Amino acid sequence: MEMRAVYAQTLNELMDVNPNVLCLEADLSKASGTNPAVARMHAENFINVGVAEANMVCIAAGLAREGKIPFCATFTCFAARRVYDQVTISVAYANNNVKIVGTAPGITAGPNGGTHMCFQDLAIMRAMPNMHVYSPCDAYELRSVIRHMAESKQPTYMQLVREKVGPVFGEDYRFAPGKAVVVREGRDVTVVSTGYMTSFAIEAAEELGAHGVRTEVLHCPSVKPFDVETLVESARKTHAVVTIETQNVIGGLGSAVCETLSEHCPTLTRRLGIPDRFGEVATADYLFNKHGFGVSHIVKACRQMMERKF
Amino acid sequence: MCEFKKEEFDRLAAEWRYIITDMICRAGSGHLGGALSLVEIVMTLYRRVMRIAPENPEWPQRDRLIVSKGHAGPVVYIALAHAGFFPANWLKTLNADGTRLPSHCDQSRTPGIDMTTGSLGQGLSCACGLALAGRMDGKKHRLFCIVGDGECQEGQIWEAAMFAGHHKLDNLVAITDYNQLQIDGFVKDINTLEPLVARWRAFGWEVFEINGHDWDDIYNGLNKGIAVTGKPAMIIAHTIKGKGCREIENKPESHNIKIADAAAYQKYMNALEVTDVTLPY
Repeated sequence: MEMRAVYAQTLNELMDVNPNVLCLEADLSKASGTNPAVARMHAENFINVGVAEANMVCIAAGLAREGKIPFCATFTCFAARRVYDQVTISVAYANNNVKIVGTAPGITAGPNGGTHMCFQDLAIMRAMPNMHVYSPCDAYELRSVIRHMAESKQPTYMQLVREKVGPVFGEDYRFAPGKAVVVREGRDVTVVSTGYMTSFAIEAAEELGAHGVRTEVLHCPSVKPFDVETLVESARKTHAVVTIETQNVIGGLGSAVCETLSEHCPTLTRRLGIPDRFGEVATADYLFNKHGFGVSHIVKACRQMMERKF
Repeated sequence: MCEFKKEEFDRLAAEWRYIITDMICRAGSGHLGGALSLVEIVMTLYRRVMRIAPENPEWPQRDRLIVSKGHAGPVVYIALAHAGFFPANWLKTLNADGTRLPSHCDQSRTPGIDMTTGSLGQGLSCACGLALAGRMDGKKHRLFCIVGDGECQEGQIWEAAMFAGHHKLDNLVAITDYNQLQIDGFVKDINTLEPLVARWRAFGWEVFEINGHDWDDIYNGLNKGIAVTGKPAMIIAHTIKGKGCREIENKPESHNIKIADAAAYQKYMNALEVTDVTLPY
């Protein structure tokens, strides 16, 4: 099942029991997966504002002020970059309970290229007071994150990969804000990942494991609030950390890890992701190779970090 | 609702202007011009039109006011204090450290503020959200939203205008404080809004023009706006920026005044129409 179909299905399930849950779109409802799925099932809870993202966010703020729970989806480049002031003031500063969903994060915006690839949404949303920032890695986690968002009164930004992704968790998985998940245990090196990149991190850990390198994979669905304790515990054990994200290495998950470790447990850390470059029309493999953050690069970075720590 | 007696309202408007000017002078600086241009409109809203419950600021059936030109905070604060939302001695804390009355309207700090505003262009969209929620819930309260004329140069205002027109948000009554001035000068010289009436009509709104300092015009205009069905209403209020303070009336400098010393304070206070006012703090 595509992730966007999970998004739509979960919204429908929530709307079945809570008429205050609303789905707002800005002419990308088919891309978000909510049209026709939500538009048909819950037409009265579905609002398409047209190509007007700033308007969408502030309308959502007004709806939230009256007790509604609006989920606003659009491409990450618009959900984070274009409406940054609207989200900052009408949502976060005012503390209105709006859920911003950034679809097609990072390199998953492939065919739309450089104008649409947003590599800084985790960074800029993380720097916003009152805002929680989540990036689920599979359909089970996505469903649990959306349910949590609907229950919580917290302004929240969530990355939504639209395509189908392989399972990391199972039916019984429950998301907890501010908690990282150790998806592979190890004691030689720690790979810290979030969202789309976690399945690649696991693949790299398995390849390393086949060669005797015990790799711990720490998945951080909650980039903010950030789980200091679990990271520090892992770093104390492995003394070598690699971060991986489909974001600029400036400001995102890698920065959160470095900030945390430098204050609590200084540890040699290598950040993989986009090395401060804009995107371009390209396949994932091309971009992984160009910027050095695919599975083979994670494996190589882990090996280098293990050599450097001794 | 208060009984309307023109002499009483005239006197009260003069007192509010005195207190607003004093509040801003105490703070050392502030947006005086755009607060003074709204005195009669805000007083009419709170004393003659809006259904409110000062003892229960979040009363679900209340009428809402979103001041999209959020820098007009001081004129809203005096209206809220006067209605009893909070003690009048809060007024002297405008912009003071730790205040609950910041320069720009803040729903998290001030009882009675229905939406945080201050980043121009956003409030009318927020008002659309409140109006839509009211309609979804089958509620009967009204939504009032004050936008600045300079603010109407923001593209988002017209995104909201389009949305409200499309969705026929007839529980929404907006008011443009058309005082003709913005920070850098006259609106017509910087980026004209004209033909303003035609523009709002083209976006699907019913439009009324009023003298924003004439009690009957304001009251009748608001009621006409409320009575409109099937579309949102825009009341274009012709006002004078800095109204009632001769030192700044209709001058671009009125937007944000700085008060460096006692002489400057006296200059503004002496320029008011009425000076025999006892401050409520």
